[in-house]
Amino acid sequence: MTGLRFGTGAIALAALVLAFAWHIAVGAKMIPLGTVAEALWSYDETVFDHVVIRDLRLPRALMAVAVGAGLAVAGALMQGVTRNPLADPGLLGLLAGASFAVVLGTFTGLTGPAAIPVLAAVGALAAASVVWGIASAVPGGATPMTLVLAGAVVTAFLAALTAIMLLIDETSFEALRVWLTGTLAGRPGSAGLWAMGWLALGLFIALGAARQVTALAMGDEAATGLGVDVKKLRLAILASIVALTAAAVALAGPMGFVGLVVPHMVRLVVGHDYRVIVPASAVVGATYMLLADIAARMLLAPVEISTGLITALLGAPVFVWLVRARL
Amino acid sequence: MSEALWQKLDGRVTFAVPLLAILVLATLFALICAITLVALVSGSFPMSATDALQSIAGNPPSDMAATVVWEFRLPRALTAAMAGALLAGSGAVLQTVTRNALADPSLVGVSQGAGLAVVTVLVIYPQTPIGLRPILAFVGALAVAVLIQAIAIRRTGGATMRFILTGIGVAAFLGAVTQAMLTYGDLDRAMTALGWLAGSVHAAGWGDVQVLCISLSLLIPAMIWATRPLAALRMGPEIATGLGCAVTRDRAALIALSVALAASAVAMVGPLGFVGLIAPHLARRLARSGPGLHLALSLATGSALVAIADLIGRTAFAPIQIPAGLVTAVIGAPVFGWLLLKRQH
Repeated sequence: MTGLRFGTGAIALAALVLAFAWHIAVGAKMIPLGTVAEALWSYDETVFDHVVIRDLRLPRALMAVAVGAGLAVAGALMQGVTRNPLADPGLLGLLAGASFAVVLGTFTGLTGPAAIPVLAAVGALAAASVVWGIASAVPGGATPMTLVLAGAVVTAFLAALTAIMLLIDETSFEALRVWLTGTLAGRPGSAGLWAMGWLALGLFIALGAARQVTALAMGDEAATGLGVDVKKLRLAILASIVALTAAAVALAGPMGFVGLVVPHMVRLVVGHDYRVIVPASAVVGATYMLLADIAARMLLAPVEISTGLITALLGAPVFVWLVRARL
Repeated sequence: MSEALWQKLDGRVTFAVPLLAILVLATLFALICAITLVALVSGSFPMSATDALQSIAGNPPSDMAATVVWEFRLPRALTAAMAGALLAGSGAVLQTVTRNALADPSLVGVSQGAGLAVVTVLVIYPQTPIGLRPILAFVGALAVAVLIQAIAIRRTGGATMRFILTGIGVAAFLGAVTQAMLTYGDLDRAMTALGWLAGSVHAAGWGDVQVLCISLSLLIPAMIWATRPLAALRMGPEIATGLGCAVTRDRAALIALSVALAASAVAMVGPLGFVGLIAPHLARRLARSGPGLHLALSLATGSALVAIADLIGRTAFAPIQIPAGLVTAVIGAPVFGWLLLKRQH
């Protein structure tokens, strides 16, 4: 069993490394994999390709890894804690809340590299509370269906308000229009470093709490019986989800369905132990995001489409299938 | 006292006349006229109500006033009012047929299907005449409606929530395809399509009014036919069968009618969200009535709603124009949340 698990893990990691190298090699100018390796190990700033790789392609690939891992882990935790196969930061309104808060911050002049992740976190937390509040007040309680409907309505509302703000303030409109469809094309700069900090914090909590999430996924009573402090765990997981979502939104804007698709793929292979699901979701999520970004750059080349459109195109059919199969 | 009894043939035949509902309907019509008048006088070119009315009557105070009224404000107001009526009718029919209080053409992907069909044509064949747009939109919307029904249907019933959730997924997918289409397309054409997609009537001209008039005059007889099967179907399929209604056939025809109503509005003004959801509920709250009168009340309510939304959208932050679709979404989303909370099991 353990041998099998290590084998699967090794394959997943190898896939991640391959996708990473391919992601760097692909673009307006195809760069051979040998040059990619050279640029990483023996950097020579007189070689043009090396500069392209170091300055443009490597940051983008790292961003894809961070966003994919963060969203996938956030989705896995949400699905475990709410025992809801349809949980996802996008579907439950967290991405809309985070991007609304960032746009509102830009609108009121409250920006800065450190402020963006904070705004995103506050927005995600507020949206999550509202969605949860609506869904639990519905007769019948917070079922997967009511949660998704509440998430859809909060998303629609915030999206309309966001669009209105962008129309009123044309300067931020230009800067944020592409970001709002979910893209990795921007240069993160120092905001990226702050976001990475939030991501590391979220992943740290997630990995620490993973063992107890498995117990929680069996039900509150079972978890309490197994010695889990359910309330404390829920708060820790919520903090982790908010931090991961905020980091992902700060880096790449709202990227839908990643948190839905990846944990389901992972669960098909590794089963229901969250000690495995959480790190596996991180690795697979990063690979998935790299591949989605490759598709976004290649599909209609030389035009580049937003990566968020690719994740929606891949994720929406999975969502429909889950609705049909699980509900 | 919301009804009056009207007796004929020495009391052998008695009709119950729903006075309140008729009164509300008349008030709504007056409201729509009033909003139209306000829409005519408000804007960057100042105009008094008498000037506006004079311009419509044919003796404008100045050439400028005539142009502003006839070329810009009047077609826009008429487009908003008619599109609202069509969307509201679509929502009312869809809610009754699916017996789902949350059904709305833009929520279940029907509007997005129409939108994708129109954007595809706008980007690839921009020369297509405006009159063909409703047909294209109808084809796209119908395909999506059939797809959602096929996915969501299950023999054991209880498909209402699954219907909505499937619609949300399909809408997300179609939205992404449409966005990708816009990225791929030529920038100028994409900008036209983008403005249209936000659900805006700001570019409405007499062409739009003409097409909407034709759609309405074709679809109103269909809605009059629809009142009978609607009355039977809202009791549920079993009772409807007992009442002598061919449930499968009538349901298919009514869904097709709902799709046609939504598609002809979306083809002209883009996917205006939540109008089809709010208007029927609001109409029911204003006055209780039979299905026929309820449909008429819904049309009037939707019409007033979009007219107000457009008026707010273009005056609230003037000179910036907020598309009416965004205003209806800001109003409609909380209404949806409230309906979700009130839902009976």
